Amino acid sequence: MSQARFLIRRSLQGLLVVWGVITLVFLLRFITPGSPVDFVAPLDASPELRAQIAINLGLHQPIYVQYFDYLFGLVRGDMGFSYIRGRPASGIILSRLPATIELAVAATIVAIIFSIPLGVLSATRRHEPTDYAATTFSLVGISTPNFWLGIMLILIVSVGLGILPTSRRPIGLIPALEMLIFQLQISGIRTWIAHMILPAVTLGTYFTAMIVRLTRSGMLDELGQPYVKAARAKGLPETLVTYKHALRNTMIPIITVLGLQLGSLIGGAVITEFVFNWPGLGTLVIDAIVVRDWPIIQGALIVIGIGFVVINIAVDALYTKLNPRVSYE
Amino acid sequence: MSVHTGEKPLLRVEGLKTRFFTEEGQVNAVDGIDLSINDSEVFGIVGESGSGKSVTALSVLGLIESPGRITDGHVWYRSPELVESIGADEPSAVDGEYVDLQALSPRVRRTLRGTHFSMIFQDPMSSFNPSLTVGEQIAEAVESQQRARANPRSVASRTQGYGLSSFIMSTVMPSKRYVKEESLDRAIELLEMVGIPDPVLRAEEYPHEFSGGMLQRAMIAQALAGEPNVLIADEPTTALDVTIQAQVLDLLLELQEETGMTILLITHNLGVVARMCDRLGVMYAGEIVERGTLHDVFNDPVHPYTQGLLGSIPDLDGTRDRLQPIAGNVPSLLDHEMPDRCFFADRCPKAMQECLEKPPEFGIAESSSHATKCYLARTSYDETDALTEDYFSSETAETQQIESDGGTQ
Repeated sequence: MSQARFLIRRSLQGLLVVWGVITLVFLLRFITPGSPVDFVAPLDASPELRAQIAINLGLHQPIYVQYFDYLFGLVRGDMGFSYIRGRPASGIILSRLPATIELAVAATIVAIIFSIPLGVLSATRRHEPTDYAATTFSLVGISTPNFWLGIMLILIVSVGLGILPTSRRPIGLIPALEMLIFQLQISGIRTWIAHMILPAVTLGTYFTAMIVRLTRSGMLDELGQPYVKAARAKGLPETLVTYKHALRNTMIPIITVLGLQLGSLIGGAVITEFVFNWPGLGTLVIDAIVVRDWPIIQGALIVIGIGFVVINIAVDALYTKLNPRVSYE
Repeated sequence: MSVHTGEKPLLRVEGLKTRFFTEEGQVNAVDGIDLSINDSEVFGIVGESGSGKSVTALSVLGLIESPGRITDGHVWYRSPELVESIGADEPSAVDGEYVDLQALSPRVRRTLRGTHFSMIFQDPMSSFNPSLTVGEQIAEAVESQQRARANPRSVASRTQGYGLSSFIMSTVMPSKRYVKEESLDRAIELLEMVGIPDPVLRAEEYPHEFSGGMLQRAMIAQALAGEPNVLIADEPTTALDVTIQAQVLDLLLELQEETGMTILLITHNLGVVARMCDRLGVMYAGEIVERGTLHDVFNDPVHPYTQGLLGSIPDLDGTRDRLQPIAGNVPSLLDHEMPDRCFFADRCPKAMQECLEKPPEFGIAESSSHATKCYLARTSYDETDALTEDYFSSETAETQQIESDGGTQ
């Protein structure tokens, strides 16, 4: 099967998954107690007003009609109207999306940059100080709660040393890049980086620690394989044996985990976003849940679901590239 | 096949000891072996599983990994060319025309792999990287040997200018890749040489798309990439179908005749030895117990272990009713469990009191071509010297008695 057909088929499967997510998310509203009207109507609203609001919200119609209305709305990019914020939900969600994606990608990049070399060193210098340092780090990193690490970093780096800003960033990556390109001003991107470092480190630490362990054990496994001995026997330099041969095969499971993690970061960076007052999806969902802002909750969950599906398809495509034994089937 | 007698051997292994320091204790995998291998001969090392054959091979290549270590001995390799290129840097490793591989720095030693020494392994499927094409892997061998030969003395040849940064660059820029186009072409030539049809197409395939026999041919091609002087073949046919085994062996012999390389063949299969070897050494419990020409050892085996091995070959004439297995198993090679006597004594049908007192050495009086670590080489067997049949079982019982006594205290 060719790669194009593989991607088309996986995309269709992905659409099915997204449809499932939408349906579940839609039904979620009906199994939670309380009517959306309660959150829109004033406390002293008359029954007539409440009925009118229900009609405005489309709540008087049968569920299946509401469902198809919602579905067709989604296809047009309409996620409903957030009465609490007084704006369409899709606009609010889309405005929060870049911050979340930037943070997730930055944390993943931090993790990849530190974890893979550290894991490789740890494996090639097994039972040496480097290895002990790396394994200790990964144990500490895995067991440190995110919120605590975030708060400590803010306390020490921002408040104590005054090096980096504490919270709520003033500028996103795209405006910062626009400033750099069109106005030739570097200050935007500098502010962006300064605000990105602590959240990315906080979010990336657990991730780094986990990948260090995966890389280390994977590398130890691969370095013990006969093909590594054969590669040494033909006189290859050790760097080539380590990186081109052993690491390549170690990366196969790591890519899978990286993909799953990146997916979960899009929805699951809630605590880190909260600690750093990050204008992302995580804080948006928390705020929306507190006030039962259903269009926002539903829309955000769907966007997160789509993110998961897209990343998984990308991982599968990459997987077949890395591992020739897996064909496009 | 050509036997050069009276010439200086190409490879002289002296008192080589390789130990593994495991949690259970020290394992004497190779326990002081001496070998001399001549130019352009096929030398066989025969023995049961666990007798130290493969460790011997890996020791010669310098590929012993932790927890293993070569603790003693020399591997003298005759190469005037090598003496000339490294003599100034490592004078302590040089003696006349010979270089002591053990005394070389690991980096210099690495440059000898592929160019001077090459190895083929037992299981071709696991000896190729599953995620790189066969052509690419053979081309790597070609490339590394070209780089090593281009400048054998420079520091660059030791890392071959290929560090982590080059690796990262190579993932983005094809021009920085380790393997160059010419090496891939050479890899295809090599595949053709070992008789792989459609080498251009096959080079693009991954190991799992090859059959075992074809992949073993590819491994031979890979080993020959650097035109090595010595090819170490570790059980090259064990993982193959019987019909393919003969093809691979014939290929090896053919290539040996063409190139004049020396082959160190490691096998447990006496049929393979008979077909391939000029001379052989029989290995038992980390020692060479008998060595000599194929003719000497097969027709006139002295050591009871060799006799036992030969006695356990099926005989198609039907003159023997049953095979005669050697009783017992290969002994534990743990240092603290190895007795100070002939290691074979407890399985030996002809063990004598003398065998228990002192381990036998290679006799001086024997001809240099055929030597045995056995007292029977100079005394003829007399049944009256034999130990009682239950000697070792009673001895074991005694030791166990002592151990359990010790345990209760």
